[in-house]
This record gives sequence, structure tokens and C-alpha cells, in this order.
Amino acid sequence: MHLRSEITKTRAFIFKNWTMTKRNVFTLFEILFWPLVGFLSVGLLAEFASLGPEMKAFILVGIVSMSTVQVCQLDVSYVLLYDVWSKAIKHGFIAPVGIRHQLLGSCIVGMLRGGMVFIILMGASYALFDFDFTVPGFWALSLFLLGIFLSAAMVGAFVCILVLTFGNRAEVAAWSLVSLMLLLCGIYYPVSILPGWAAALAETIPLTYFLEYFREFYGFQPTSTNVLAKGFGTVLAYLVLDVFLMKIALHRAKKTGLLLRLSE
Amino acid sequence: MDLSVPKGALWGVLGPNGAGKTTLLSIISNLLTPQAGDVLVLGKDFRTSGWEICSRINLSSGHANFLWSLTVRENLDYYAMLYGISRRTRRQRIDTLLDLLDLREFARSRFEELSTGTKQKLSLAKALINDPELLLLDEPTVGLDPDVAFRIRGLIADLHRDGSRTILLTTHNMREAETLCEQVTFIKDGIVRASGTPRELKRELRLGDAISIDFAGIFPGPSIERIDGVYGVEVSGPHCRIRVDDHRERLPEILGRLASAGVSIHDLRIQESDLEDVFLAFAK
Repeated sequence: MHLRSEITKTRAFIFKNWTMTKRNVFTLFEILFWPLVGFLSVGLLAEFASLGPEMKAFILVGIVSMSTVQVCQLDVSYVLLYDVWSKAIKHGFIAPVGIRHQLLGSCIVGMLRGGMVFIILMGASYALFDFDFTVPGFWALSLFLLGIFLSAAMVGAFVCILVLTFGNRAEVAAWSLVSLMLLLCGIYYPVSILPGWAAALAETIPLTYFLEYFREFYGFQPTSTNVLAKGFGTVLAYLVLDVFLMKIALHRAKKTGLLLRLSE
Repeated sequence: MDLSVPKGALWGVLGPNGAGKTTLLSIISNLLTPQAGDVLVLGKDFRTSGWEICSRINLSSGHANFLWSLTVRENLDYYAMLYGISRRTRRQRIDTLLDLLDLREFARSRFEELSTGTKQKLSLAKALINDPELLLLDEPTVGLDPDVAFRIRGLIADLHRDGSRTILLTTHNMREAETLCEQVTFIKDGIVRASGTPRELKRELRLGDAISIDFAGIFPGPSIERIDGVYGVEVSGPHCRIRVDDHRERLPEILGRLASAGVSIHDLRIQESDLEDVFLAFAK
């Protein structure tokens, strides 16, 4: 395995996702229009409800995280979806590239786009709602961002698994799966208010821990200890599982002929 | 199916719709896992040497599809990167392919803006991006205008000329197969029905060529029938039709015997059988 070749193969997916993204108006909406609309709606609602600084922090951390995760996970999903929509998926799988190149390359673009969304909304939070995201400090903010990017990669990879298993029918998961996850992990409310079974499910979602970690700096006590370790532990475990399941899904797609049908 | 293609061959796979031609190429390129049996590509098994095989083969399909927003150059650059090719080599190879396939003027055009023929040329360029030892061409001229198809056929012949590359080609176009391929394999329902040179297949089916003669005199039918390679003689008045395996080999002797018998020839026409006849015979 040559490092230069590995980097070139990973760059291929960065190049593809980035070029496709910048040529499609829809993807501009993804990083500007929808996040800003969602952010302003929730922020203005918080103002209208006259929420105190702590509650406003809770809500704004939630909405900004949600928008960032959504954009980043879409990019990871796009690594397959662009090929599916182009009916060119077979050309990618003929080449000597691995799942690691696809996920890493697309995740880097996702981090760039997600990072843009985060910076835009962070600036808007400060300017419009007097909320400062930098209070926890550089390292805490970096760890939080890394956590939500990895959570996004986990969801995006799972969408790829679904596409390789169920074909085009599964592409709706790229937009719906993350919403389901966000419902459980406490974007606008603490997971402690969820019913027992839902709270238990929330504990299996890494984003729950990253949100609790970041909100701790704004005065909210986490529901458990070592939230950061739990967050990174679970997200890395899920990513390993994703790669394993994606290999199985690809193997199955070759057996059933789905890979060819996706190219027709 | 039992098929072995030697290194450096330009081999055609023919068969009716649904025969399994694309399935065969898909299996060879590891896009489809066979339900049973073994497939060795370049002497290696995908189960143990998949990575190595992938880097030494490539595929071009008819009805080409690529990333719609990327230009011709960007598409080639992307696929070159998938093979881990360095920036400098990529640039050189893409420039060479753009010239080879007359794609230079479209280098900055997006895939979605290209004509069918140009898309097909891009597909061929993409298939050559890693300079593959085994090139799989799935109906490379399907749906193309005759002039573009002619040029693509010329390119395929050029690609094979130095003999270092093995080319496996599926086609519906019998003339294309006959022009390009040294060997052809007919498959139907996933089974190899026949394999060989076009000439061998014609001989196997006893299709051969037809020699029609308008003559005057007494036709020496039995004498002609005894010539090696003559399949049959039909005489009707001053006309006869002689079916032979290869008119180039048999005509001199036929003419010699007719001359010996004092037969004068007023008109002579030769109708060569082609792979289309072979195809029709096997497709029945």
C-alpha cells in the first residue's frame, strides 16, 4: 500500500464531491438557505418566548449542531448518491479503491461544508442573539466539532449501506435518517424528558454525548459521566461497524446484481 | 460456461439479447459475483488478488454514463485518481487520450452537454486511463452514427495493434466482430455455443460462400461435387449455384474443371457468408 496512491485515491472523492457540490445550486441551499431559515426560526422563537440565557444557549447549540450534522452527513451519503444519480456507480467499483477512501474523502468535504455552516451560524448567533460559541475554548470547541462530524459520517455511511442494500428506494434515508436521530439525541430538549425506552435509545447515539459535553460549558449538567469518552467510543465503534456492514452490502449487491441495476 | 481468452487477443463475444454477454463482462470486471465456478482474470482470482486485478483491467460500456456536472477532463481526472495515478502522469495521459479520441475540443464541456458519440468516446478514454492489460468493451458502438462507429472501430483496432493488450468485446454488430475480432465466441442462455475464428465457425456450420455461374455447355456436376470443400451443387438450366467452404481456395479448381469440360462461362457472382449468417444459425 503506497501512501501517495492512498492519498490520491482519497483525493478523488474529495474532488468529486467538491466539484459536484459547487456546480449544483441545490447544494448551496443546503449550506446557506435551510440552515439559516431553521436557525432564525428557532432563534426568534427563543426570543419571543423570552428564554433566559441558559435556555437560549441550550436551544442554539442544538439547532447549530443539527444543521452542521445534516450537511456533513449529506456529503458522506453523496459519495454514492452522485454516482447512483449519474448511473455511473459501476465505474467507481471497477477501480481499485476501498470503502476507506470513499468515506474519508467524502467526510473531508462534509467537514468543510459542515464547518462552513457552523461558522456562518456561529457568527449569526453572536450577531443576532448575543450567544458566544467560543466560551468553552478552542480545544473544547474542536473536540465538539470533531464529535459531530464523526456522528455525521456515521449516519452518512449508514445511508450508503442502505443504498447498496435497497437501491434507489433508500436514497430518502439521506434526508430522513438524521432527523430521526436528532429527535432522540436531545437537540431542543434534554434526553431526561424522553420516555424510558427513548432515553435508553438516546444513550446509544454518540451525538447525545457530544451535545451534553458542549452544553456543560453553559451550565447544563450531563446525565452521565465521561460523556466525551462515551461519545468518541460509541461513534468509532459505529464507524467500524459501518465499514464492516458496507463491505457486506457491497458483496451482496454484487451477488444480487443490484450494483449493475444501479448503473442502468 | 467454459471460456479461455489468450493474452493479447482481440476476442468477440456475440449472442442474442439476453444471452449473457454483459453478464459475462460484469463477472470478469467483478461487478457481479458468479453463483458458481471460477473466474481467473489475467491468471489471478478476484477472491485473492482483487485489488491487483482491478488496477490492471478496465471497462467501457455502450450507453455511457458519467458524473453529469463534471467536464470531460474532470471526469478523466477523477477516474485516473481512483487508480492512484500521480498528478503528472494523469495530466500526460489525459492529454494523450484527449488527442487520441478527438476529445480536445470537448475537454471543458460538461458530460451532460455531450452528444452520444462524444460520451462514447469519453467512455473509451476512461477505460484506457489506467493503460489496462485487459480492456473490456461492452457494445462500444451501440447507438452511434455510422461515421463515429467507424472511427471507434479504427481506434479499437489500433489499440490492439501492438498485441500487448487483451481486448474482450461484446457486440451485436456482426460486421464489427468480423472486422475486428480474431476469435469470436457465440453464447446463448449463458452457454458457449461455439468458439473460433469467423472462418472456422462458418466451416463448422457449413455456411461457406456461394458461387453462382451462368454457363453454356454440359455442366460437370458430379466432378465439381467431388472437389474438396464443395458443400453442394444446384443446377437449373444454364444457371448453377455451388456452395463452397471458401471461394478463394476452391474457385481456381472449379474453373479448371469447367474449362476441361468445355463449359463456357457468361457470368460469375460470388456471395460470401458473413458472421451474420453464423449468428442467425446459432441464435436459432
